[in-house]
Amino acid sequence: MREYRFERPGTVTEAVRRSGSDTAYLAGGTTLVDLMKLEVMTPGRVLDINRLPLRGLDATGGGLRIGALERMTDVAADPRVRLGYPMLSQALELSASGQLRNMASIGGNLLQRTRCGYFRDVSMPCNKRQPGSGCPAIRGENRMHAVLGTSDSCVATHPSDLAVALAALDARVQLQGRDGVRTVNLCDFYLLPADTPHLEHDLRPGELVTGVIVPRLDWAQRSIYLKIRDRQSYEFALSSAAVAIRREGDTIVEARVAVGGMGTRPWRLPAVERALAGRPATSNTYAAAATATVDGTRPLRHNAFKPELMQRTLIRALLELEQTR
Amino acid sequence: MTKPAEVTRSTTGGIGESPLRPDGALKVRGEFAYSSDLWHEDMVWGVTLRSPHPHARIRSVDLTEALRVPGVHAVLTHQDVPGTNRYGLEHADQPVLAVDLVRYHGEPVALVAADHPETARRAMKRIKVDYEVLTPVSDAEHAVHGDGPRLHRDGNVVRHVPIRRGDQNATAPVVVHGVYEVGMQDQAFLGPESGLAVPAEDGGVDLFVATQWLHVDQRQICYALGLPADKVRLTLAGVGGAFGGREDLSIQVHACLLARHTGKPVKMVYNREESFYGHVHRHPAKLYYEHGATEDGRLVYVRSRIYLDGGAYASSTPAVVANAATLGFGPYNVDNVTMDCWGVYTNNPPCGAMRGFGAVQAGFAYESQMDKLAAALGMDPVEVRVRNAMSEGSTMPTGQVLDSAAPVAELLRLVRDRPMPAERGELDLRAMPGGVSNTTHGEGVVRGVGYAVGVKNICFSEGFDDYSTARLRLEVLGGEPAATIHTAAAEVGQGLVTIEQQIVRTELGIQQVTVHPADTTVGNGGSTSASRQTYVTGGAVKAACEAVREKLLKLAVTRFGEPRANLTPAEIVSVLGTEVIEETVEWRHRPTTALDPETGQGFAHVQYGFAAHRAVVDVDVELGLVKVVELACAQDVGKALNPQAVVGQIHGGSVQGLGLAVMEEIQVTEGKVRNPSFTDYLIPTILDTPPMPVDVLELADPHAPYGLRGVGEPPTISSTPAVVAAIRAATGLALTRVPVRPEHLTLEEPR
Repeated sequence: MREYRFERPGTVTEAVRRSGSDTAYLAGGTTLVDLMKLEVMTPGRVLDINRLPLRGLDATGGGLRIGALERMTDVAADPRVRLGYPMLSQALELSASGQLRNMASIGGNLLQRTRCGYFRDVSMPCNKRQPGSGCPAIRGENRMHAVLGTSDSCVATHPSDLAVALAALDARVQLQGRDGVRTVNLCDFYLLPADTPHLEHDLRPGELVTGVIVPRLDWAQRSIYLKIRDRQSYEFALSSAAVAIRREGDTIVEARVAVGGMGTRPWRLPAVERALAGRPATSNTYAAAATATVDGTRPLRHNAFKPELMQRTLIRALLELEQTR
Repeated sequence: MTKPAEVTRSTTGGIGESPLRPDGALKVRGEFAYSSDLWHEDMVWGVTLRSPHPHARIRSVDLTEALRVPGVHAVLTHQDVPGTNRYGLEHADQPVLAVDLVRYHGEPVALVAADHPETARRAMKRIKVDYEVLTPVSDAEHAVHGDGPRLHRDGNVVRHVPIRRGDQNATAPVVVHGVYEVGMQDQAFLGPESGLAVPAEDGGVDLFVATQWLHVDQRQICYALGLPADKVRLTLAGVGGAFGGREDLSIQVHACLLARHTGKPVKMVYNREESFYGHVHRHPAKLYYEHGATEDGRLVYVRSRIYLDGGAYASSTPAVVANAATLGFGPYNVDNVTMDCWGVYTNNPPCGAMRGFGAVQAGFAYESQMDKLAAALGMDPVEVRVRNAMSEGSTMPTGQVLDSAAPVAELLRLVRDRPMPAERGELDLRAMPGGVSNTTHGEGVVRGVGYAVGVKNICFSEGFDDYSTARLRLEVLGGEPAATIHTAAAEVGQGLVTIEQQIVRTELGIQQVTVHPADTTVGNGGSTSASRQTYVTGGAVKAACEAVREKLLKLAVTRFGEPRANLTPAEIVSVLGTEVIEETVEWRHRPTTALDPETGQGFAHVQYGFAAHRAVVDVDVELGLVKVVELACAQDVGKALNPQAVVGQIHGGSVQGLGLAVMEEIQVTEGKVRNPSFTDYLIPTILDTPPMPVDVLELADPHAPYGLRGVGEPPTISSTPAVVAAIRAATGLALTRVPVRPEHLTLEEPR
């Protein structure tokens, strides 16, 4: 680990003012400390924001507003989340391990870095870590890597389960910077790697995630987060799906669909949503809609199974959702 | 031999019982002192600079900047190795610190000692090594037969073991072929490599270290340091699991070198990533098999070629090769066999000992072949195995006759005849493939059942002088007879210390038994491997008890004026008074012989252990998820000295086999380890672990102490093929490689 200055700003304004290009905010630390030990991240200053008033879960006025420093465990257990937005609770509970969820914050979860082994190995090139150095994953070990949103510079998968569910819910990210506060759609908050994979978020210098807004969606009570992984607990998604369905009788009126383990960012699938809307809730509809996922996938040598698995994941999520009536 | 004292009736916690482990409560409470907890006043910290390349020439090493870092006490390279810069379990082919060539990703190049571990790491990063990167040799089969570079002076073959027995041109009406692959498995012990070296005033060094074999460590350290054995003293520190991964050196020589250079105690602890580079792994294997059988399912011949990737250095590859070859046909009667098994140098991570030791790789292949044969014959997979099953009196492919129980058919019948687990419940999602991850309420789920049986040699083989030493002291303490048992055998978590206590209690009929810390002030205890410690060190402890008892009974004649067969504890107190009886005994099992280098014939193994598994799995065939519903095991243990420990070993071995079947693999790409963490290298969690009912047979081996048969490894052999057979049964897929991953179930074509 490199040497760094540890500071504990007393207010959000002060935190934002003190922040600079060489600064990292410390919340739960489950990503940052790990990556600092590996020297993947080498901030000169670490601003501990844990005492800032960025906690709280507010459900007044419909929807949810989740403070950035809320811990994953607490948000997952909150009955307003559990009952109103089950896919959020499920995405959180299927993330990481109990110990990590007790520490990791919601804001940190949204900003967590990819688990790409080359990104984490400072002896290897990585365009995300060292722009222009190259991407060994494209020809190397890439079973867990992305098939959507990739570029010739980067194929790293976005690791968050929570962000997939939030993408399906049209969540917005609240930011505070030196020039004030602003709110960004979560889907726009994540940038595609293109030829600048080191730029992952629409974050201005010093900007701090202060909260997440989940707009009111009453029919999210019927939603699901399904996760496929190599063991039953404590593993990243090989494939996952967040699905919410509004039905009238046997007809699907509206759908929200996003997938994880597939994209360089959480991946909303509007084409699948359109293919579901207005159709009868049958497995034929699900299968037909799922084919709309394949557009634009770019499989690599070791992850050619992913597009097919994504379809099956979606179909199964839709079927499982029927059982949670 | 004298008989055990009948006064055992008055003692508890003797053999056949399951007394509390002396280390158990401490471990459960988190209070046990592991080697990584060692601490010494004034100690400094050692770290290791490792090669980032799997194959490279070292042009130069510049230490200047590292030495300038305040707080640094020493920076060492191969030039600072005072003795011979070579070590190795079987061939001394591995440099303590690389000289002009690195042969694997993670090979140690230099050492730093500093007053803080972070200072040491920062200084380490300032060492400038100029590498000329070379192309790594990464394919074992090609390394043997191809025209690539020679990685060691004598070429790329560490060892080739041929077996030729019977008609080499035999033919059969039913023939099945298969090519199988086994990925590189890690021992995944939880306690990272660690230890503390303390320089002594006599110019020697005292090393406290987590290891499997103190004396072989000592021998290699002496060789590298150029010191006599009395100047290098080892004490076993708390070991957090081993499974073979601590049989080779890790920090041992490095810490001692740094301690001698700095004149200070030096502590070294690997982190998890470094641990993946710091110990050997299970050999990945490619296995070619051809089985020929009669139409009624009797094996006529088996032909096999096996390639075991030993990586950059030999480690225990020669012995692993012998095991894979001699056990490579499984516990089946077959007259005509042809085997060529190679252990190979590549630039992959060094591979060596891991639970199952060559028998695991072969077991996956030959059991897959038996299923294939059953399918070709239209026979039941258990029936085809039973029809060919070895039994006492059978001849191994090495010509060795099985001269004790070999209940292969009975073990298979035991697991087959168990009641099947209930059909999946609809309520508990944890019982489903995918578990609580919302993947199914039963959609796409197909059940499969698979069987396998395996064989493993117990103890060291091929003429190795395999022995252990036990020193037993009997005296009166606090008015009670008390024994202290002292061996150099490593307790690595398996429960040896409990067994030692149990044996002494039973043999001497006393209650109070203290296990002295294992160290090199007593003779060699041999390795904690090959399922051998209860057999060999247990045998030595028993023999030491007998020697002590003989002396005690002689004293009793003086005391009572007449010979006594048995003594009560009170009588022992009265006989001993202030006398102390101490006996040190070296004990060896009956000798084995070398394998004939042309034909592979010989009395190579002292004992064989057999286990069978039945795996029941639910497979979500659409999503590729596997839930092992139940993993039943039957094993002959000769005599269960500690029944609870026996079941624990069987459970542990079964789960390690399950891990290899469905998730565990070190990913190596062009010689580089890509997943050196427990986040990326997956081992089963408790949610992946099924109920594991166990049948234990106790068919005494007349050659072994108490008739026991080593327990630790056999269940690891048959677990993997049973799980994969069950997945095949559910999916109809060929599945020729482990671990089986979701994509193998969703993308592969049915066979």
